[in-house]
Amino acid sequence: MLAALAAEVGDFVRPPIDWHAAAPELTLLAFGVLLTLMDIVWLERGRKWAPALASIGLLATMVPIITLAVDGADRSMFGGAFVVDKYALIMKAVFILAGYIVVLISSNYISEGDYWENEYYGLLLSSILGMILMASARDLITIFIALELLSIPAYMLATWRKRDLKSNEAGLKYYLMGVFASAILLYGMSLLYGASGTTLLVDLNESISASDSPSAIVVMGIIFVIVGFAFKVSAVPFHTWAPDTYEGAPTPVTAFLSVASKAAGFVALMNMLFVGFIGRDDVYEPMIFALAAVSMTVGNLIALRQTNIVRMLAYSGVAQAGYMLAPLAVASDVPDSALAATVSYLVIYAVMNLGAFAVVIAVARKTRSAEIDDYRGLFHYAPGLTVAMTIFLFALAGIPPLGGWWAKFRIMGAVIEANTVSGVVLGVFVAVNSVIALYYYARIGAKMWADEAPDGDLTPVRVPASLKSALVLTVAATIVFGVLPGLVGDVTKVSLLAGVGG
Amino acid sequence: MSDYLRSYLTVGIFGLVGVALVGVFLGLGRILRPDHPNLAKNEAYESGVEPTGDMWSQANIRYYVFALLFVMFDVEAVFIFPWAARLEAYEVFGLIEMAIFIFILLLGLIYAWRKGVLKWV
Amino acid sequence: MELTTTWYLVLSASMFSIGATGLLVRRNPLVMFMCVELMLNAVNISFVAFGSDLNDVGGQIAVFFVLVVAAVEVVVGLALVVAITRRRADATADDLSVLRG
Repeated sequence: MLAALAAEVGDFVRPPIDWHAAAPELTLLAFGVLLTLMDIVWLERGRKWAPALASIGLLATMVPIITLAVDGADRSMFGGAFVVDKYALIMKAVFILAGYIVVLISSNYISEGDYWENEYYGLLLSSILGMILMASARDLITIFIALELLSIPAYMLATWRKRDLKSNEAGLKYYLMGVFASAILLYGMSLLYGASGTTLLVDLNESISASDSPSAIVVMGIIFVIVGFAFKVSAVPFHTWAPDTYEGAPTPVTAFLSVASKAAGFVALMNMLFVGFIGRDDVYEPMIFALAAVSMTVGNLIALRQTNIVRMLAYSGVAQAGYMLAPLAVASDVPDSALAATVSYLVIYAVMNLGAFAVVIAVARKTRSAEIDDYRGLFHYAPGLTVAMTIFLFALAGIPPLGGWWAKFRIMGAVIEANTVSGVVLGVFVAVNSVIALYYYARIGAKMWADEAPDGDLTPVRVPASLKSALVLTVAATIVFGVLPGLVGDVTKVSLLAGVGG
Repeated sequence: MSDYLRSYLTVGIFGLVGVALVGVFLGLGRILRPDHPNLAKNEAYESGVEPTGDMWSQANIRYYVFALLFVMFDVEAVFIFPWAARLEAYEVFGLIEMAIFIFILLLGLIYAWRKGVLKWV
Repeated sequence: MELTTTWYLVLSASMFSIGATGLLVRRNPLVMFMCVELMLNAVNISFVAFGSDLNDVGGQIAVFFVLVVAAVEVVVGLALVVAITRRRADATADDLSVLRG
């Protein structure tokens, strides 16, 4: 069979490789290998260097991303399966920086517990490698490989506290839901491949949008692919794993899942929608509309009655996924502003959510719990953390002048600009839900500022340096994005359609 | 109907007859035999030795690790075959690519070795 | 009657639905892994069938990747199950209910 295949393919032509375009991935891969080598050579003696090496690796990966951004040219490789454009670079930078902050908030948590350390950072880097590959992937197979590269290490990270039954359950649930989703996604991809005869997204779009009405196979394929990614971004009704996994997983991993992994799901979804399906808006737009509206509403309503802050953030994350999906439901009417809105929301959401989790980790160092009642009177013994948490919560609620306000404004702008019935309806949904969300964010704020500390225990929370720097970074970014929204606005003025080259 | 499918038809009919025969004889036996269950009769027969313990016994967990490692490295070989079939065509470029691929796989194996996974406990 | 691509697609669709149903209904993690394998192999059949129908190698190449990823996924899943059974014997997905949800 192989000989027959070879005859069919003809002579092997070495694909031209643009080393500069692949440099971020290769750098990160090299540091992952280095981390493993260090583990092989030094075993446990290398533990204390692991977080440092991981941070250096992430920062080193930023260098080629910046040089590519300065260079500014759109690059594409492997027949268009791997594309480096402005959008890809922004998302890569978001993943790398989110990963860096996760390393900062992990280092004390992981080294103080009895956990494997070298492997933790090795898996973290592999997962981030999958994410930055996803930002450039414009081919069904490449997207699938990137998705698995980012998910499989995440399954293991969620189970990292392996002596804790909760963490075991978190990991197994996440794993089962994840593989179920990727099987559905793959089946959809196989149908799309069958309908179009190509795995390249650009050609796929051309092929499936050629006819007036879609064939049954195309409809099924698109639905399956979107369902697969809906699991990843935890949109209702595919969100059931999120609260349990978030609660059971180690908190730094939860932060990573809720920010980086969710963003990667959105990047994949945007690649598919804007490059692969854009001509078949009659199929995907109603579906995205329903997912967005239901996610916002259900996420917010369930978040109202949570007593654990991590579960509350999980459901608030489900609602935020709904907001981010909203512009995608009008993707074909106003492609550029819809894409820019979702990308800006992802950037700002990453900062404020990571910050909120950093505070949760810091507070748990003293209280050993994530119950909302244990945040009573936080102001009396940890005023700095209280201010930071208030900033993050108000940013998540979308109160000006913090970052979240601008993000929500962009979403509203995009859905209204579309000027369609579904766009306006989604706008109303976003507005109503923002009001609901305000209640549960403000409730925590009130507990922290107004109540007395339980048992009158006023010993201060000791925040280690790395956690402190993560907090400073995220607070600063949240405020800057809110006060100078033009910053994010200029950077996220991207277009996926323009960056598509053969 | 094509010849190809007709040959399957024979297999199908044969299978059906087989299933029907077994069903008929089991049914006949059920109607004819006396039915007086008691504890000793329902016990599993273990060469005259009294059976002990649960019938679900677990295989030792250490076998898993070898099996897991085997499955992974076994399947990765699927990428090596196409390369080997067209070795000359890919020239030095292919050789270097494959060397990198195998190096990363090997790293995993050495890692497992260093961590003592390959030791028979 | 000819064995056309449609038959392979019907086979693949039924395998996929059996796997999906099994994954949702069964509670033993090992059986659930087998169901996942069934779903992924249904995808493989579908890729190969489309590939041979379109006379395109892309479908077969996709199978290579699906195959390897399926193996890696199952290895990770089994490792998780081993980690759990070390804590408590014969766990099923239902026994794991410390968390609400």
